[in-house]
Amino acid sequence: MIGSLTPALEVLFASDTLTPLFTDGVRSFFRPDTLARIFIEGLGKAAIYFIIAIGLTLVFGLMGILNFAHGAFAMVGAYLGGILMVVGLSSGSGTFTRIAFFVVVVAVIFALLTAVGAALEIGLVRPIYDRTPMYQILLTFGVGLILEELARIIASARGIQPEPTWAAAQATIPTVLGTPSEILLNLFGARIRGFYLFAIVAGAILAAIVWAFLTKTLYGLYIRAGSEDPEMVEALGIDVRKAFTVVFGLGIGLAAVGGVFLMWDPTEGPSVMLNLDVLLYAFVVVVIGGLGSFKGTLVAAIIVGMADSFTTWVFARGIIDFSGLPEVTIFLLLVIALIVRPQGLYGVEEVGGH
Amino acid sequence: MAISSPDSDLAQATDEKPAASDATDADEAESTHWARGYVHDHLAHVLVIGFFIVYPPLYSVLTGLPALDIGVGTVDPGAFFNAFLPATTFLIGMLFLGLFAMSFDFISGYTGYLSFGHAAFYGIGAYTIVLAANGQIPGVPGGTPFMLTMVLGGVIAIIAALAIGAVSFRLTGVYFAMLTLGFAQVLYELIRNWGYVGSNPLEGPNHAGPTPEIGVPFVDSLSVGLGRLSGDSFNNVLGTGIDISATLTSYYAIGVIVVICYFAMQRIIHSPFGRVMIAIRENEERAEAVGYNVFWYKMGAFAMSAFFAAIAGALFAAYTGSASPDSTFYFLVTADALIVTIIGGIGTLAGPLFGSFLFEWLEDILSSQQGGLAPYLRETLPEGLLSVDVAGLTFLELINTLIDGRAPLYLGIVFVLFVLFVPNGLLGSVRDRLGGTVAKCLPAHLERYRR
Repeated sequence: MIGSLTPALEVLFASDTLTPLFTDGVRSFFRPDTLARIFIEGLGKAAIYFIIAIGLTLVFGLMGILNFAHGAFAMVGAYLGGILMVVGLSSGSGTFTRIAFFVVVVAVIFALLTAVGAALEIGLVRPIYDRTPMYQILLTFGVGLILEELARIIASARGIQPEPTWAAAQATIPTVLGTPSEILLNLFGARIRGFYLFAIVAGAILAAIVWAFLTKTLYGLYIRAGSEDPEMVEALGIDVRKAFTVVFGLGIGLAAVGGVFLMWDPTEGPSVMLNLDVLLYAFVVVVIGGLGSFKGTLVAAIIVGMADSFTTWVFARGIIDFSGLPEVTIFLLLVIALIVRPQGLYGVEEVGGH
Repeated sequence: MAISSPDSDLAQATDEKPAASDATDADEAESTHWARGYVHDHLAHVLVIGFFIVYPPLYSVLTGLPALDIGVGTVDPGAFFNAFLPATTFLIGMLFLGLFAMSFDFISGYTGYLSFGHAAFYGIGAYTIVLAANGQIPGVPGGTPFMLTMVLGGVIAIIAALAIGAVSFRLTGVYFAMLTLGFAQVLYELIRNWGYVGSNPLEGPNHAGPTPEIGVPFVDSLSVGLGRLSGDSFNNVLGTGIDISATLTSYYAIGVIVVICYFAMQRIIHSPFGRVMIAIRENEERAEAVGYNVFWYKMGAFAMSAFFAAIAGALFAAYTGSASPDSTFYFLVTADALIVTIIGGIGTLAGPLFGSFLFEWLEDILSSQQGGLAPYLRETLPEGLLSVDVAGLTFLELINTLIDGRAPLYLGIVFVLFVLFVPNGLLGSVRDRLGGTVAKCLPAHLERYRR
C-alpha cells in the first residue's frame, strides 16, 4: 500500500524544485523498508521509554512526589542486573538460557528494590510529608546524588570502570538480540535489530502488568483515585501511609527493572551516567503524558519513541548534519507539549498541587 | 575559622584592589555620624567582606607555619592548615558559584518559582565571554573590555529569559520547573553540536583572544587583568613589601563584582519590587487581587535573575579561560546551585554564598590535589596503620577510594541531612535563632556582650 505511494512522489519531486538532498530524503523516507524500520525501531524505543518512565508516573500519581532518585535506582538496577548476569551465566549459555535467566534477574531485582524503596519511604520521605512538596523533590534528589557517588566508588574500587559503560554486563546479551548481523526480523527489506523486538515484547508485557495492577487491585484503585483527587482519597479513610509505602516501593522497583533492560541497550549499558539520562528522559515522557497518568505515559512514550527513531534516521541519512538531533527533538517535544497542553496529554490540572 | 578581627595592615595592603573599598569605607565612616549608623546597620556585611579580604594572606601565613619538633614527635601546623583550610583557588570557585546560586535563589527563593534551567543563563554568560574574546560575535571585536562583554552576556541572558519566561510563566509549580529545564536542555544540546563555537563543540570553546580585563572600560589604569588568564601579578604593592599573585588578583577582582552584584540584588529585594516578589511566593492570587500585574513582576524578577546568572557565568569563563557545555549549560550546574542554596538557606540572599563556601571547602579538602585530606593522611599516618587490611582493601586504598575526590558523596549526605533536619539552611536557621536578619540583630547582640 505504501509502496504504491512512491511512484506518485517520484512524479511530484521529478521537477527538482527542492534541494536534491531533501528530495532524495523524502523519497527514501516513503520506501516501505524505511517506514517499517522507523516504525519498529520507534516502537522499540517507545517500549524502553515506557519501561523507564512508568515507575515515576505511579509514584507521582498517588503521592504527588516527583521522584528525583528514579534515575539513580535505574542505574543501581543496571549494575545489580549486570552483576547477577555476569556471575550467573557461563560464557557458553544459549539464547534461551540467557533470556530465561534475564527474567529471573528482573524478578529478583524488582523484589529487592521494591523492599529498598519501601524502606526509603518509611525512613526518609515519611518524616517530611507535612512540608511543601519541594522538600520531597529535594530529598529524593539528594538520595540520587548519594547513590550515584556510591556507585562510582564501588565501581572504581572493584575495577569495573573506567570504561564509560560496563562492557562485561553488556556482553551477556544473547547474540540474537545484540549483533546487527543476526537479525530477528526482515520486514520489507528492513533489517531490524533483535533488541528492539525484545523491548517491544517486554514493554507490552510490563504495560499489561501495570495496567492490570492499576485496574484490578486495590492499590491501583488508590493510585487512580489519588491522581484525580488526593484530598478525597485521604478523606475517604484510605490508609494513605501504607499505600504510599507500597507505591513508592513499587515505583523504585520499576525504576530498577528499567535499568536492567537498559543494561542490554546498545546505546546505554550499566554506567553512572545512566542516572541522569534515565531521569531526564523519564521526566520528558511523564510530563508530556500528563503527570500520574498511565495512559498518558504510554502514549507519550510512543510519541517520543517515534520522534527519536525518525530523527535518528534523519541524522543517519545525512539530511540534517546535527548529531544532537534526537535529544533536541525530545526536549522540544516537551516544551511544545507544555505550551500547548500544560497539564500533559492525559493529565489532570490539579495533580501534585504547587 | 572564627577570624573576625580584620587585620588592619593587610586591609591596607589590599587598598589598591577595589575589593577592599567596603572595608576602607567602613574605616573612614567611623568619623561621621550618619555613616556610623550606616556601618552599624551593615556590620554583618562588613565582617563577612572583611573576612574574605583578609582570608588569603591569613591562609598563606597559617599554611606557611614551620614544623615543630616537640620531643615525642613533630607537629606540623602548616600541613594541617594546608589540608583543612580551603585554598584561594577554591575560594574563587566559591565566588562565581555563590553568585550563580544567589541568582538562582533570587528567583526560586523569593518568588517560589523553581527555575530548573537556570544553567542556561550561566552558559549564555560564559559563552558570550569566550566567543567575544575570540572575536566570534558579530559586531564585537576581540579586544572589547571584559566589563562590556560581561554586560552584553547579561543582556543576551535577559532577552533569553524574557523569551523563556513568556512561555514558562503560564505554568506553575512542577510544570514551570520542567518547562525551564526543557528549554535549558534544548539549548544544551544545540550548543553541544554547534560547530561554530569551537573545533570540538562537545568540549566547548577555549579562550584564544586577548586577555579580558576587569576594571573600568577604556581607563587603562583601572583595568585589572584576570589573573589566571593574564598572569598579572603585582610585586611590592605601594612599597609595602606585599606581593599579590595572579590568583589573588583574580580573587579580589571577581570578589568585587560578586559583592556589587550581591548588593544590587539585595537592594532589589528590599525595594517595593522585592516585596511584590515575596507576595507572589506567599500567595500569588492575593498579590494579583491587590492589583499587581504578577506576570510582569515575575518576568522582571526572572530577567534580573538571568542577568546575574550570566555575570556569574562570565566570571567563570573569564577565570578558567574556557566554557564547556557540561560545565555551563548542563542540568547538573543548576543542581549545584540548588544544593548550595538549600544548604545556605533558600530565601536568604547571602545564604547561597555560605552554602557555596561549604561546597568548595569540601571540594578542596577531599580533592586529590596538593593540600587535600587524602595526601595529608597518607603522609602523617604511620606506615603500619596504612597497610592494615579492611575487607579485602588496605587502609590506604580505602582512603584513596573513600576520600580522594569524593566531595559529591559527602555533599549529598550533607544535603540530605539539611533537607531532613535543617530545612531553612545555615543562614535561615541563624535568622530564626536571632529573630531577624543577621544585619539587623547582630549589632544588638554585640551590644549585649559589650555591657
